[in-house]
Amino acid sequence: MNIDIDINFSDNLEASVDEDDEIQLTPAEAIALMEEAWINEKFAPEILPHKLELVECLLGQISYMEDNLRSLNSTDFKKIIHQLEVDRLRFLISSYLRTRLEKIETYVMPILDEENERIQQGVELYLTKQELKFAKDFAEDLQHHFDNITTTRLPREEWNQECVKPNIHSFVFLKSKEEVEGIVIDDGNDEDGDLVDLNRGSQMIISYKSVANLVKNGDVHLI
Amino acid sequence: MDPDEVEFLGEKQYVTIIPTFNSGVIHLISGDVGPFRASLPVRTPLWMAINLKQQQKCKIQQPDWMDVERLESIREDEKLSRTFTKMPNEHYMVIAKLLLGCASDDIPRADEIRTIIKDIWDIRMSKIRSSVDALVKNAGSYAAVDNLTVMEINSIRPILPHALDQLHRIKASRKRPGTQSLGTTTFVSSSNNRSSFPSTSFIS
Amino acid sequence: MFCEKAYTLIKELSRSEDTLPPYNTELVTAVINETKHLRDQNEEDAHTSNNDDSNAGTSLLPTVRIRHAAVKRNVRCLLAYHYNRIRCLRTMRWEFGSILPADIKSNLSASEIEWFSRYSRTLAAYMRSIGEEGVNLAVDLRPPKAMYIEVRCLTDYGKFELNDGSVILLKKDSRHYLPRAECEELIRQGVFQHID
Repeated sequence: MNIDIDINFSDNLEASVDEDDEIQLTPAEAIALMEEAWINEKFAPEILPHKLELVECLLGQISYMEDNLRSLNSTDFKKIIHQLEVDRLRFLISSYLRTRLEKIETYVMPILDEENERIQQGVELYLTKQELKFAKDFAEDLQHHFDNITTTRLPREEWNQECVKPNIHSFVFLKSKEEVEGIVIDDGNDEDGDLVDLNRGSQMIISYKSVANLVKNGDVHLI
Repeated sequence: MDPDEVEFLGEKQYVTIIPTFNSGVIHLISGDVGPFRASLPVRTPLWMAINLKQQQKCKIQQPDWMDVERLESIREDEKLSRTFTKMPNEHYMVIAKLLLGCASDDIPRADEIRTIIKDIWDIRMSKIRSSVDALVKNAGSYAAVDNLTVMEINSIRPILPHALDQLHRIKASRKRPGTQSLGTTTFVSSSNNRSSFPSTSFIS
Repeated sequence: MFCEKAYTLIKELSRSEDTLPPYNTELVTAVINETKHLRDQNEEDAHTSNNDDSNAGTSLLPTVRIRHAAVKRNVRCLLAYHYNRIRCLRTMRWEFGSILPADIKSNLSASEIEWFSRYSRTLAAYMRSIGEEGVNLAVDLRPPKAMYIEVRCLTDYGKFELNDGSVILLKKDSRHYLPRAECEELIRQGVFQHID
């Protein structure tokens, strides 16, 4: 009856945060970063660089836990608690991945164009391999459908021009994790706008374009 | 963001419970919790505390700040301050709502607490409304929103960001070299002015 | 008037926000024909003006421009009509799964039915490719709430298998903490009583 789950979590997981340096993360830290990634993805108008390592690391934790839970009696309160935690994590990861999928579908053409550029420049892609395949298939399905309707009357270039693009000027709320100096305010002008500094922990509403890089490098996170 | 999702974020905050059972440590993915000894206080995440409470396996201790005197003084400060004061917890509303919902029998003077927290919320919401009004009227390009909690920020979404998006569009289409710019009037002078939403001059 | 049909098409779709109205083949064809006609006329006039150095050629220009604008508007409306129907179908894929209810299916064009099954396949392939075992993204749509409830068993029901494969013995007056979803049926049948 009293089966105690003893999972050794002292083994730290590895999740690469930057392309270059591998950083050791505890599961708790991985969850915190996943939450941050979820909220960032929710509010950033454009798709953000993927967090595949985080997702895979947490999915691994979940399946490990679920394997262990099978041996527990379902009336055991511990099982209930573990199950609830697993469900919370599942929601977090699924919601994060769904948000990305919705963006990929909505902005499929501009996203594929950007990824192609990144491939040419030899820089890291924003989409995972799996997402990229989904994006390509989705775009092809869409092309196929429009080709069906319009036959010869609607050249592909014509409807490609009508694609929805993310509004990168849209306003977002952020919280700063670092001291950041000299953020250029995007006020709809091509010329340089005002500058603003951020203290650690300060919060602001601002055009996403002004802070896109800071969101991507983790100096600020959206709220 | 869906209110359920705001709650989801708040639920990982830790609270103290008094269990009515004995048990060893639970090795959660997010870290160890316990051991549990009947009538000895132990810290658990809120979501877990609520679950145990629903199973009548514990009492929940209210957080230090969830106390009539503390809250009354917070309410007075909030009333007197033109800017937003720092709340005792970033998720005060979520925690209050959940604890008063499922564990009001564990919290002395729960009804009074409920009323004061509602007052604090109302005072802050009215400040938010006038700040939003000022920000939009001045066609601000950015504003500090220090000390606003997640749920408060969520309450002005999507209306405020959308309004600013539209203003931005107007500005971008109006802007021609040599013409006077409409929008860079600083609603907030600089971020050194930490409590600048609402910027003091626009409130009252 | 130019583009009136295209406008009707869009209006029809926007009027029924939550449901998908029957695919309007007739009107779509009419818009395509109008567009085709306008283009043919423009081609003809362009040809005329190319072969004509006199002023007659230039005087056709405003007409050509108007027609061109009409063509663009028609194209835009056609795209909007078809794209928004696809968006709606997409939502249904997430709600109903890969099999569409018959009443919805009967409102679709052949190409839309094809798109739906392609999308289903693309999506399923993606979900299978996540992590080691794949993740079904169509569940866990809301943050989990207290999902276990306490029930009292009112009869000697016997063995009961839970979704996770474990078996519990339901005896009269025994109390259990069970997932809400798995209790609901037995509560309706009067086997369980929900204890608040």
